[in-house]
Amino acid sequence: MHLFRPRAPGGAVLCSVLRDALRSGCSLAAWAMAWPALLLAPLLAWGNPVSTENVTAHLLAEHNPTVPGQPLELLLSLTIRPGWHTYWRNPGDSGEAPRIDWTLPPGVSAGALQFPAPALIRVGPLANFGYSGRALHPVRLSIPADWPLGEPIPVRAQAHWLVCEEHCVPESAVLELTLNTAAAAGPSDPQAQEAFAQARAGLPVGTLAGATLTPTPGGLRLSLPRAGLGEAPTAVRFFPWSWGLIEPAADQPWRLAADRLELDLTPGETAGTADPGGLLTLTGADGAVRSFEVDATRVLPAQTPPRITAPSAPALGLPLALGLAFLGGLILNLMPCVFPVLAIKALSLAGQGGLSARQRGAHGLAYTAGVLVFFAALTAVLLAVRAGGTAIGWGFQLQYPPFVAIMAYVFLVLGLSLAGAVTLGGRLMGLAGGQVGGGSAGAFGTGALAALVAAPCTAPFMGAALGYALTLAWPLALAILLALGLGLAAPFLALSLTPGLARRLPRPGAWMEHLKQLLAFPMFATAAWLLWVLSVQTGPAGLALVLAGMLAASFGLWARERTAMAGRSWRRVGEGAALAGLAAALWLGFATAGSPTPQQSAAPAAPQAGLAAQPYTPARLTQARTQGRPVFVNMTAAWCITCLVNERVALRATSVAAAFRAADLLYLKGDWTGRDPQIGDYLAGFGRTGVPLYVYYPAGGEPRVLPQILTPASVLAALGSAVGAPR
Amino acid sequence: MTHTDQPVRQPRPLVPVMLALLGALMTWGLAWGAAQAPQVGQPAPPFAIADTAGKTWNLADLKGKTVILEWTNDGCPYVRKHYGGGNMQALQREATAAGKVWLTVISSAPGNQGHVTAAAADQLTAERKAAPSAVLLDPTGTMGRAYGAKTTPHLFVIDPAGTLVYMGAIDDRPSSDPADLPGARNYVRAALADLAAGRPLADAVTRPYGCSVKY
Repeated sequence: MHLFRPRAPGGAVLCSVLRDALRSGCSLAAWAMAWPALLLAPLLAWGNPVSTENVTAHLLAEHNPTVPGQPLELLLSLTIRPGWHTYWRNPGDSGEAPRIDWTLPPGVSAGALQFPAPALIRVGPLANFGYSGRALHPVRLSIPADWPLGEPIPVRAQAHWLVCEEHCVPESAVLELTLNTAAAAGPSDPQAQEAFAQARAGLPVGTLAGATLTPTPGGLRLSLPRAGLGEAPTAVRFFPWSWGLIEPAADQPWRLAADRLELDLTPGETAGTADPGGLLTLTGADGAVRSFEVDATRVLPAQTPPRITAPSAPALGLPLALGLAFLGGLILNLMPCVFPVLAIKALSLAGQGGLSARQRGAHGLAYTAGVLVFFAALTAVLLAVRAGGTAIGWGFQLQYPPFVAIMAYVFLVLGLSLAGAVTLGGRLMGLAGGQVGGGSAGAFGTGALAALVAAPCTAPFMGAALGYALTLAWPLALAILLALGLGLAAPFLALSLTPGLARRLPRPGAWMEHLKQLLAFPMFATAAWLLWVLSVQTGPAGLALVLAGMLAASFGLWARERTAMAGRSWRRVGEGAALAGLAAALWLGFATAGSPTPQQSAAPAAPQAGLAAQPYTPARLTQARTQGRPVFVNMTAAWCITCLVNERVALRATSVAAAFRAADLLYLKGDWTGRDPQIGDYLAGFGRTGVPLYVYYPAGGEPRVLPQILTPASVLAALGSAVGAPR
Repeated sequence: MTHTDQPVRQPRPLVPVMLALLGALMTWGLAWGAAQAPQVGQPAPPFAIADTAGKTWNLADLKGKTVILEWTNDGCPYVRKHYGGGNMQALQREATAAGKVWLTVISSAPGNQGHVTAAAADQLTAERKAAPSAVLLDPTGTMGRAYGAKTTPHLFVIDPAGTLVYMGAIDDRPSSDPADLPGARNYVRAALADLAAGRPLADAVTRPYGCSVKY
């Protein structure tokens, strides 16, 4: 190993170019032609090692002399100026990986440059993958077995690299090395030995099989088997082989599940097509970094959505979609949670003989505005959350136990009020007590309240349709939801704007009080239903909390009712009790969030007349698919009435169960009553944000999506036609 | 006074509770709603930004014209590769001669490489015989971040309808070596030709290469 020159700033470069030109016997003309090259690559230098402005490059051999016929490890060592960095094979947001152009005698060949695990180097809002301090790149040299012993091998490597601090400098050097050949390999010097050891420590320790990359709404999830990863890491980072798979600078939240390591990645510009593999680095508790090559496979979603939308969701024209949404809104008025509110509100108009047509109209408009503002706000929240990458659909509110608990309180209190057990004040009295209270502001509040109480009812009946609407561009989604709101507001608006209609309402009388009390029962029914949903989500513990909350709230409201007519100090006590009761109820309601996690099995399964279902997991699905077994996937939730009806009517029908058994079909059921990212991902794979979703996977065939309303005949038809389809 | 007609002031606990609930939901939603990276096929992110002469360029005013955005930093070797050989200037002339708008954008922050005053930017344009429609000064990096500009050079093509149709590198030779210019496939020239011919773009998204934008 000879050392031509330790440093190579400007003048020295000129000398080396000159020397090279002379040595190669070039004419002066050829030397003159070398000038442009000199200008373009001002830091080109010859020797070994070579120091450029920012890097000292060194080509090392593991053994010298070496044995022909045996592979030899070489090492490109780049010692980098402090504060500067060079790049990994995928440089990240900017930069360029080092490369080598070899000049080798015939028969001798060099393999690809290897790259040890990189570090994340942040540059403002961007990030690079690379090395600081020292970059060590092993490379394997093959020497033919018939190379004459004793004949030296001249190795010439022109290395190019980009080195950056805040700004970047492309540098290169020609590294020369003469390898002697002998029958036995010579020892390597301790310094080289150390560099080789360090280089090998940075290389991946193995390849992880069984990794999957799944698109999630607004993101990508990399899931790896935990086995083989060793001790639990303190830090994890995934470096993709290719540009465009992920955003290099984005954080990568990760978590360890029982048997998987999961990372949430932010997709890059070509996330759908880029190589899904990369390098995973794990930092141990001792600070040591180990890395694994990750051979990820993309999991179903990517290719499925386009062919799925055709059968199940025919593209609706916008006018038709708006019309249907309006119609849906009208129907909402008849839902058990909304109808009592509306009925009382409408009757109150009749009772207010003193109101002028204008006042009446103003009320109607204010009420409509209240409904629309609530729907717009809810849509905005949903779209914003979706844009943030969280998997939610319409009905997501019902996946959150405290929301269910509080809605149950609302319905209980409204029911108590209608039944006459408690008197609600002010504007709420306008709602429940048969008066148009509080003017336009009161009507606005009533509208918002009607929309709020409608929310739990829209999800079960229209969750799927609205979920579909939410996948559209936001102006369309907003238009559709506002049309729904308009539908909800329409009957009352029509009533208030048409004096003739209002006059036809029956005259107020004692019957109104009876009707009002009767209408308390749909409210209690809704509360009972919500409690059942809650019991599925949180089990008996959560149910007990909310029942206690209901007791506290009822007692508080009763105490206030009893003291309302009493003296001032008693009234204070009563109001204090009411506030305390409601506060306790709220606290208990929010405490349900900490209750035991949702039970997958409890939901609508109950005693099975049909085929026993297994809980859905991606692993079960993949396993059955690879075994060539047909699979039926049913995605459901306790609060999804459509789902429950479909199960009762179609999936548990004896004919369907028999067909399932005959086909040796695996029936997988996913319960989305609580939040479950695996189910959210699955739904997203089919372009859905909500349940129900029914997918049939024929053995070895493409999955097909069934309609959202099932009959035994339609299920059998789907199974039958798939069986007859060409394999 | 009988107590039956005594007006009773009563608390209305439900309304505030519901408003608080809604408020919490909205805050939660907004916190999750992160800025989205620009996407080919979607409307290009809007901008309104001053050039070296102080004139404001607003994307909305450029409807009906094809717009090319070029991020640059005169100190970057990759930029020098394309300006040194006259490659970038030739492309600028071709585009502007065909009625397209070429906007060169400098997003380097003050004190960082490539940050220049308006006068210095004009001088660079004259020295390099560059021919953009204008040089936009983005020292705060607002426009750069809106477009997700990562490298110099990094190029974007916006069609007359305001849709982003191309983003990525200038060509397919990711190096700083001018020797790689001959024979390289210039993605921007190809995109403009595809656009003019009404064809779908052969390459709509490519890996931009170069120095990082010095935000």
